Amino acid sequence: MKIDLQGLTIKKAHEHLKRGDFSSVDLTRAYLDRISEKNNDVNAYLEVFSDALDAAKAADKRFEDGTATPLSGIPCAIKDNLLVKDHVASAASKILEGYHATYYATATLRLAREGAVFLGRTNMDEFAMGASTENSAFGVTHNPRDLSRVPGGSSGGSAAAVAMDGALFALGSDTGGSIRQPASFCGVVGLKPTYGAVSRYGLMAMGSSLDQVGPIGRTVSDCEIVFDAIHGKDPKDGTTIDDSTYPARRIGKRKPVIGVPAEFLESTVSGMSKEVSIAFQSSLGYFKNHGYEVVDVRLPNVSYALPVYYIIVPAEVSANMARFDGVKYGLHVDGKDVIDDYFKTRRAGFGREVIRRVLLGTYVLSSGYYDAYYNRANAVRRMITDDFLKAFEAVDLVATPTTPGPAFKIGEKADDPLAMYLEDIFTVTADLTGMPAISIPCGTAEKEGKSLPLGLQLTARHGDEKTIFEVGKEFLGE
Amino acid sequence: MITSEELEHLARLARIELSESDKKSLVKEFDSILGYVDQLKKVDVKMDVEGRVGAVRNAMRPDAVRSSSPEDRERLLDEAPDREGDFIAVKKIIAQD
Repeated sequence: MKIDLQGLTIKKAHEHLKRGDFSSVDLTRAYLDRISEKNNDVNAYLEVFSDALDAAKAADKRFEDGTATPLSGIPCAIKDNLLVKDHVASAASKILEGYHATYYATATLRLAREGAVFLGRTNMDEFAMGASTENSAFGVTHNPRDLSRVPGGSSGGSAAAVAMDGALFALGSDTGGSIRQPASFCGVVGLKPTYGAVSRYGLMAMGSSLDQVGPIGRTVSDCEIVFDAIHGKDPKDGTTIDDSTYPARRIGKRKPVIGVPAEFLESTVSGMSKEVSIAFQSSLGYFKNHGYEVVDVRLPNVSYALPVYYIIVPAEVSANMARFDGVKYGLHVDGKDVIDDYFKTRRAGFGREVIRRVLLGTYVLSSGYYDAYYNRANAVRRMITDDFLKAFEAVDLVATPTTPGPAFKIGEKADDPLAMYLEDIFTVTADLTGMPAISIPCGTAEKEGKSLPLGLQLTARHGDEKTIFEVGKEFLGE
Repeated sequence: MITSEELEHLARLARIELSESDKKSLVKEFDSILGYVDQLKKVDVKMDVEGRVGAVRNAMRPDAVRSSSPEDRERLLDEAPDREGDFIAVKKIIAQD
């Protein structure tokens, strides 16, 4: 049978594979063909794995011997900061030149054990620092919906791979919006799970008190299937939680209550565009028409989320980037002595945004500034978390747009770091508070004859991905 | 707000070589970013609050040595830019008299 990649979901593909309408080898070939047709223009993939068809063959065996699971034989894409044993992993940085992963990340290992097929590794902002994928050392990724625009970032390659029908799903990582913002820009679904829900073992660390691995897919159901497969406690990541860590607080069968931080959304700091406001209001209209109670919530300190984020993240970045020294792995540039090797290797290997954040982090952590910046930021972070915890006493979800505007033009914000940082205004709160949040498509903005996707973000209590999936599925009619 | 000398000091601490033109653009970018995050100074905060994400709990495990396979060791060493036998090689840091 002819495989229609455009209408395919993990669920449908699994049914076809089970019935024998096509094999995983057929399906993988179809994706590989699609990638070779589209990737020159989009640059979603940095590398297509030569062993993808071998994995597909192994998956087909599982359908024959009855050991197949919902992800067996499903072709997917992996962000370049997650390790897949024996494959190159570069985090789109020159400093990891020549590095091959010596082990599996827990998230990729769990997918591999299910028999998922890894098509390749996807482009990203270097070490996940950015919101446009323009900070990659290996060229920008283009938005499949409009090639003159960015796909968002930092998981821009993963979102573009799914949006161009170049993978059924992809893994990304989210520190300030890096799964949800590109999902929104590319018209797909992206989930940032609760902090600790998915193991970060084998994920290259960026902001360790925020980093989280999550799925990007076509539908909410697909993201749920992937989340089910990859989440759970891992002895190799001490921050991982299990399903009982946060008690389920929604009781009974009543419809979830949706909270809207109207005051924050209307403020000038959010910089929300008109198209986004219209799409958001019509999403709220949907909920009201479908029996949901939509109420106003107050988050008095939420407008400080972005400045807090851009103190905490550089601080953690400066610590995490210290391991790249030209000695243990990756690039080595020779200097006149050992210390000079470090200086030369790091100058040659790191891109501008990485250097900027390492230096900013060194600054905010230095003696004399520590209290003024880092400690103060942590205290305000706690206040923002308390705002959300209080809001969740009265509501089950908090709704906002995912981004203030649709995908912007390549180059438009590349020379203005602060303008790029403002992209994250609605997404950083879920990372700062550790709460789960999803971006789902909720309409389009018409620009220069192109329909640019917009996203609706739903944030839930710690550990309550269930409510996100339930409401998201109803919203998308799944 | 930040001087070129301060920036040089930070770069020395962070082990990154900077050119003059790097320093020029970074001074400007630091001003814009620090100017933005400075709005936190007007928040009335209790500074003794402990920063944490979500539920805090201990993750205990026995402090035990586990051996790795010779293959794993070989693979890890192979990633190093320079090695000598079972060691990662770096330049000499102690001068001979």
